[in-house]
Amino acid sequence: MPPPTKAIISPLPPFQPDLYIRAWSSHPHPTLPLIATTHDKSVTIFSLSTLSKHSSLTGGHSRSIRSAAWQPSSTPSTLKLVTGSFDATAGIWTYDQSGTLEKNVSAEEDEWEFNLVLEGHENEIKSVAFSPTGQFLATCSRDKSVWIWEEVEEEEWETVAVLSEHEGDVKFVSWMPEYKSQKGRRFGEDCLVSASYDDTVRVWREDMDGEWVCVCVLTEFGGTVWAVEWEKEKEGGEGGICKWRFITACQDGSVKVWQRKDEPEGEEKEENKDWSIPNRMRRELREEWICVGELPRVHEREVYSVCWNKKGVVATTGGDGKLVLYGEDKEGKWKVLGQVEGAHGDYEVNHVVWCRRWDGGRKGEEEMLVSTGDDGVVRGWEVKFE
Amino acid sequence: MPEIQNENPTILNVSELPSRRSKKIVPRSGPDSTFDSVLYPKQAWLSSSSSEGEEADDDDDVAPIDEQDIFDLISPISDPEHPHTLGQLSVVRLPDIQILSSDSNHRLTTVKVDLTPTINHCSLATVIGLAVRYRLEQTLPPSWRVDVRMKDGSHAQDDQVNKQLGDKERVAAALENETLRGMLEKMLEGC
Repeated sequence: MPPPTKAIISPLPPFQPDLYIRAWSSHPHPTLPLIATTHDKSVTIFSLSTLSKHSSLTGGHSRSIRSAAWQPSSTPSTLKLVTGSFDATAGIWTYDQSGTLEKNVSAEEDEWEFNLVLEGHENEIKSVAFSPTGQFLATCSRDKSVWIWEEVEEEEWETVAVLSEHEGDVKFVSWMPEYKSQKGRRFGEDCLVSASYDDTVRVWREDMDGEWVCVCVLTEFGGTVWAVEWEKEKEGGEGGICKWRFITACQDGSVKVWQRKDEPEGEEKEENKDWSIPNRMRRELREEWICVGELPRVHEREVYSVCWNKKGVVATTGGDGKLVLYGEDKEGKWKVLGQVEGAHGDYEVNHVVWCRRWDGGRKGEEEMLVSTGDDGVVRGWEVKFE
Repeated sequence: MPEIQNENPTILNVSELPSRRSKKIVPRSGPDSTFDSVLYPKQAWLSSSSSEGEEADDDDDVAPIDEQDIFDLISPISDPEHPHTLGQLSVVRLPDIQILSSDSNHRLTTVKVDLTPTINHCSLATVIGLAVRYRLEQTLPPSWRVDVRMKDGSHAQDDQVNKQLGDKERVAAALENETLRGMLEKMLEGC
């Protein structure tokens, strides 16, 4: 299938109700028709079938909730959401749904339970993310650190690592997804990228001693890096092409694609095994990631959010209120497929994400974009390609 | 309160501050309002949001927001360590306010405000900048974007302060800090 050359973006009715206060971000559930929007000290869960409120999480945090993540391994009967707040803590919430997913505005609001608080960060938590298997949770903060947590037992979380090499607030964390190998086996490595106010992006991995180390620092940014997202495994891809790419959104208006440079063949591993040098100095733990593409500059102000779908189409939003879609042609050149000016009226658009459609009786095969803005509106966008 | 860092700043008399009103007091030979429609053309955002533009709310200015209006919004902010306003202390100066309309994006208007803190190492520069940004974001229409910076060379840690003031997330978090919030409210009392 040739890559799309044009996208027609049409607004869907906004999710009900309006939140009437700045909303920061929206996080679709990995399998269920639910999306969690953070705003003020709360999270509103919307049903993607009815595009209206399903339930809400309130009363757990003393300051705004900036970010949220669904735990991938949570069973269908129990929903588990992690929230990252300006009050420097991460909250773990569970929802016991006794078979009633499809609820409307009238639903009672006390079904979400604030179970656990993860304490450790000194300042605002900016972003939270689960590793693909759900084994690890990463949190990052204005205190310049990234923490990795593991749920060792039900409701018992341990700190696996504290990564403190960034020199400024850590704005965003994202785990490398699992990819399908040629034999259909799923594999993934636990690899984390973090984006920072220090104008860099760092790549982190666990070394052979179980220590988390920074394997690469990317510095080609002219300002705060607000967001980073990994490429999705392409739909109907030719037998598991795994490009290991991610994309960054920056204050300077740039959106860049990064790829790991192939490791040179025949390099001896464990060369320095007997030397008493720090792990991070070992040669095999250095990786080279290079910028393999820059998207056309459309945004006039900071780019706050970037997302990538299975067709390889990228969407961005930012301080200029624009929603922009980009596609990559066969030569790897990026083109603008379509854009909406003033996607949230005169307001800034803080977040955009691809998610599956369940409205109008759909069963999740189609995709839509969901944008979240300073106007307190969360809205879907239908995208048709040509 | 920390020790006062600049004990002897230059203070302008209120009547010396740039003001539209003060100019109108000056006796003129011709009718006052003849050129108003030329000087202050109709407010685009106001007329599109109100029904026919003809009857804009009483307290809404019919003229477009200009640099003087921005100055009037922020110059009465009190300095956190002196009993004077930012206008009197020349922290805010009319020539350092710039309004820019985007060429390609007709929706947005950007206002750039360069501040001149009273002394070089003013640790309160961030608070002053925050107050200015907060004041403008509270009063200007949502299509306005506010960029507050320290005037080049006026402050030792320009870059840090500017970066912080330009970061929406940091500003939002700072405004949830009660101590800081109380300080800002106090500075804005005279507005």
